[in-house]
Amino acid sequence: MAGNGAIKEDGGKGVKEMVIERIKSIKGIPPEENMLPGTPACAGCGGLLALRHCMKALGRKTVIVNAAGCFTLLAIYPYTPFKNSWLYTAMASAPAGAQGIRDALDILIKKGRLDPDEDLKVVVLTGDGAAYDMGLSSTSGAINRNLDFYYICYDNEAYGNTGVQWSGATPFASKTGTTPPGRISPIGSELAKKDLFAIWNSHKPPYLATISPAHPVDLINKFKKAEQYKGPKLFIALSPCPPGWGIDSSYTVKLAKLAVDTGVWALKEAVFGVVTHTVVPKRFKPVEEYLQVQGRFAHLFKPVRQEAALNKIQEGVNEYWNRHKLLL
Amino acid sequence: MQREVYRLKMYKLRFHGRGGQGARVASKVLGTAAFLDGYYAQDFPLYGAERRGAPVAASARISEEPIMERGVIAEPDIVIVMDETLLQDPLTKPVLGIKQGGIVLINTAHSPEEAKVEYKITAQVLTLDITKIGLDMLGMPILSTLAGGVAARIVGLSEDSLTDAVKKVLSEIITDKRLLDKNVAAALYCFNAITPAKIELELKTTDAIKKKSSKVISVPFEPATVSSPAINATGNTPLRMTGNWRVFRPVWNYDSCTRCMICVARCPDGCILVNEDGFPYTDYDNCKGCLICVEECPTNSLGKVREVHV
Repeated sequence: MAGNGAIKEDGGKGVKEMVIERIKSIKGIPPEENMLPGTPACAGCGGLLALRHCMKALGRKTVIVNAAGCFTLLAIYPYTPFKNSWLYTAMASAPAGAQGIRDALDILIKKGRLDPDEDLKVVVLTGDGAAYDMGLSSTSGAINRNLDFYYICYDNEAYGNTGVQWSGATPFASKTGTTPPGRISPIGSELAKKDLFAIWNSHKPPYLATISPAHPVDLINKFKKAEQYKGPKLFIALSPCPPGWGIDSSYTVKLAKLAVDTGVWALKEAVFGVVTHTVVPKRFKPVEEYLQVQGRFAHLFKPVRQEAALNKIQEGVNEYWNRHKLLL
Repeated sequence: MQREVYRLKMYKLRFHGRGGQGARVASKVLGTAAFLDGYYAQDFPLYGAERRGAPVAASARISEEPIMERGVIAEPDIVIVMDETLLQDPLTKPVLGIKQGGIVLINTAHSPEEAKVEYKITAQVLTLDITKIGLDMLGMPILSTLAGGVAARIVGLSEDSLTDAVKKVLSEIITDKRLLDKNVAAALYCFNAITPAKIELELKTTDAIKKKSSKVISVPFEPATVSSPAINATGNTPLRMTGNWRVFRPVWNYDSCTRCMICVARCPDGCILVNEDGFPYTDYDNCKGCLICVEECPTNSLGKVREVHV
């Protein structure tokens, strides 16, 4: 099904030239399902949609190392939605778990006890709490050691599993369980979202990308491109969260699209530190369109419009795209 | 000295719903209303690994005298079942422990007699289609204040306390004044929509309970290979049948379907399959009813109908 338009990659440092078969449309998405329905994830989970496409791109020869978070609950004894192996680790130590599995596989291959064709891709799966906050140092170490692994972060911008508390990924002016808008702080969270892409990119990993559940073609092509590199291959997926963001479960994809179209979530990739934007909207929609449909930003519009906060969010987005000289 | 424990008028209630339906807030509304009416009250949710759609429970105790009991209610007087499908869920068992002569209120379109036979309930059964009232009056299937209103009527609280309780509890959660007013109206509508039966309880003395000796369960130390749950299967979650989470069912109109595959790519659970002719169809056993497919279909070939369980 796939395989139109072979694109030659110039490659980075010492990477062989490789022809990548990109998919062009939604019809080119592999039909094979590697993650089955029946999971305990909420109806309309954006992270689950992103993960479903990631699993299609990764194939079945994978082993997932899952840090504590919403997706820990995907595999609750005696059920698992995956066709592949899965390991559960503590919140901060998923990359360390990945190191152990990678080493074990390497040793087995070296000793001739495992056919190199049977090798598995080691995939770390964490939420934004583990990626942005608790697991940041162990991830930094793993990238620095050039560990050959994938990292998928489903970023729903709060600690969703425990009832939506503030995390390092929570954007400015968002309402969470621990940043309720009130008399003292009428805007909710006063801190800006961490730029995890920039933090990770400062390590100059072979491949790093942001992905969105609403852009599955872009998502799958990024995984296809990442496959050629040995070393850390990192992905951050903005994942609309119906209970956390205060949206209807049917709006998940709409919100993910709006995040890209308003410029809030930039779809980009970085190969050895060099950043390129993969999806740039022709005309940016005002950020307000993204904010006003979400319950977590409702306090910016009712009972009084908080003009200063709204302007600050729009200016932040403009500043980002101006910096990359892409604002038309 | 003779102690007549059940002379105290204490009602024990349990709410069963699905995450996001509002079982926790329902118990809070009831507890607050009871407090405002001058009773002693406890209300608390049973925390677990909740997701939106997963079975959840909340409890409340209402008494004329200080409540010395704590913890989960094993033998409730009143059970409010906010989602009918839970009655068939083998892990939830909403009516477990209900006392003879107690009351089970079921959120269903069926009559009490039908429900009593269908679900083999020995206690008294009341029914009310709370979901329909929620959809009509609030425009969404969130039933917290409505179930709170029903429970307030069954235990015999006043209309004024209920109104104040709804306002008090909701003003901490939502900022939309109009939605709050709608909730007050809906709670009062539910309050007046049912005629509660008299709770006829078999009186038990505490001695009867005390006679049962409680056992301390000790779990011996085992190495991780034995004590940690290892799943030795692949891809078996479809057995869980999450299809009973749905409030609305996506329905297809194949006349206008162009087989564009957008719905297939948008379903988070991968519940949209493709038949030999290339037309998509829903796996209703597992579809959770998020309705992303209905929202995303470019040709409007998908609609939704209210799910009514038999």
